[in-house]
Amino acid sequence: MDLIDLQNVSRWFGDVRALRDVTLRLQPGSIGLLGPNGAGKSTLLKILLGLLPPSSGGGRVLGHDLTRGGFALRRAVGYMPEADSLIPGLRGADYVALSGELYGMPRRQAQRRAHEVLSYLELEDARYRRLEEYSTGMKQRIKLAQALVHDPALLLLDEPTSGLDPPGRAAMLQLLKTLGDEHGKSLILSTHLLGDVEQVCRTVVILHEGQVVSQGGVADLRQHRQDRYRLQIQGDAAAFLEELRLEGVTILDDNGRGDLRLAVPAGWVTRAFFLLADHHQVLLRGIQRDNEDLEELFHRVIEEENRHGS
Amino acid sequence: MEVSLLRYRPWRGKLHSPHKSVWTIARISLMMMFHRKIFWVMYSLGLFIFLMYFFGQYLLDWAETTTAETTISVGFIRTEPARFIEVLRNVLKFNGQPEMYRNFFWWQGSMVMIVLALAGSILVGNDFHFGSLPFYLSKPLGRWHYLGGKCLAVAVFVNLMTTIPAVILFLQVGFLKSWEYAVEGGYSLGSWTIAGEEWHLRLPNPLFFGILGYGLVLTVCLSLLLVATAGWLKRTVPMVMVWTTVFFFVRLLTAALVDGLQYHPRWRLFDMWNNTNLLGSALLQVNPYGPRPDWQPSVAEAAIVLGAVSVLCLTYLSHRIRAVEIVR
Repeated sequence: MDLIDLQNVSRWFGDVRALRDVTLRLQPGSIGLLGPNGAGKSTLLKILLGLLPPSSGGGRVLGHDLTRGGFALRRAVGYMPEADSLIPGLRGADYVALSGELYGMPRRQAQRRAHEVLSYLELEDARYRRLEEYSTGMKQRIKLAQALVHDPALLLLDEPTSGLDPPGRAAMLQLLKTLGDEHGKSLILSTHLLGDVEQVCRTVVILHEGQVVSQGGVADLRQHRQDRYRLQIQGDAAAFLEELRLEGVTILDDNGRGDLRLAVPAGWVTRAFFLLADHHQVLLRGIQRDNEDLEELFHRVIEEENRHGS
Repeated sequence: MEVSLLRYRPWRGKLHSPHKSVWTIARISLMMMFHRKIFWVMYSLGLFIFLMYFFGQYLLDWAETTTAETTISVGFIRTEPARFIEVLRNVLKFNGQPEMYRNFFWWQGSMVMIVLALAGSILVGNDFHFGSLPFYLSKPLGRWHYLGGKCLAVAVFVNLMTTIPAVILFLQVGFLKSWEYAVEGGYSLGSWTIAGEEWHLRLPNPLFFGILGYGLVLTVCLSLLLVATAGWLKRTVPMVMVWTTVFFFVRLLTAALVDGLQYHPRWRLFDMWNNTNLLGSALLQVNPYGPRPDWQPSVAEAAIVLGAVSVLCLTYLSHRIRAVEIVR
């Protein structure tokens, strides 16, 4: 059974078309949903949760029909929202147990399961503390706990590393990876952080202006991304830049005062800049990795799409 | 954070229907309210009126039985305590008659309004203020389940303070007077002869249903009004200000307009508390208009206004909840 099978799904809000003929067929596993603001990620998540019916088209999530699935669909899925959505005054264990009950679990089982999940997520010491006393990292984990309490086959995670410090982020990503790889959970990770997707997901779907502009393995995406640098040089740059061009480097930006932005070919090593600078008597005042960010990647993917189309 | 992989265990069980979530939401809302000490202080204060009625009735009854045959002289005045108690009973309306319950609902309801204005933000407002609503609505339940749960929580509270104490007073009168009181005028469902004795099955005194009816009017109106105003205002201070305006200042204003400036009694329809009292009195079969019927709007008009306000609250809440972004 496919995890997600969407056929020409479109969604209109008045005159605005949030999703345009989205056709997706995804197998169980960890999937990254990437896109800048306004790409249609939230609308797609709402449709996958059965909160919003498609204006046209249709499909199934875990075998549940999108338009008629409703409650059954949401029971099969665990949703971790981006916003805090905590209930002040409640203790951690009560909050997760409440989530279980709202998913439809019997009360006692929900309570028992809440303790299990909180222990698994290393929140057992904090389970009797009020939610407003939780740190950001703990809040993210308890949000994951409330999505996991009824042991769903699919977890929809909306910006799960939002607000976390680097160790907290790494731990959360490791946890998600474990859930996917070792406990057979399918994950849909909606984020704008490419790094999160790279670490956790095997498949990636890129949305732009309501359309799927790219879909495939994360390895493909890695190949797609350009390595970039910012250089600050002093001296006669002409020969140096010419040599760089011959080596396959693309000059993206040159302000004429020695500040350069470059895209380097795959396999480029930073040391090559120093060797070439030395060779052409150019002083390298600054060098900084400035890899293509997601938005630039989107634009390039779209440009390439357009080029292929024409 | 180190993840212990061995502790994750799958769960396999049967999930129940979303309708049960209504009680779950109500239970959690009440639990959050019961956890606050201020609630118990207010609840205790609210119960003073009930205790006054409860022990007042008991005291009068006790005094009546202990001083039935005696006379008391105070200076030159000689009086029979039984007559004095009777006068007192009728003045205070501690007599088990419908007026007693109407007065009880009136006073007790005032306390309920104060407590609800203070509890509104805990019960409902916080969900909007702290963004808890997406937590509920992302679960397999509809917005009507959520609303139902919140209204049920308010309803439980309103009934804990009004209907249930009123029923206890009703039963107390039955105990103190006679059980005939409890079934007096009740519709007969039939009679049976068992072992030579005739048994009658009767519905309770219609007054009992009047009590439940008055409680229902308060429950429906106050629940919807509280959930709607708490959803709109969210915080306690604005809630208290609006409720004070709706239930106190508007009352003063309409009274001044109708009683003082001789405006049309329909101006009183703006007074929600007066409307509930009119409808509740009619259900208790008490003259709802008092000694000056021309100074009150009709019960039907009051009922229409209450119904319209309830529908407005429901419509507002439906739109308010629909506007919540579950996925941002």
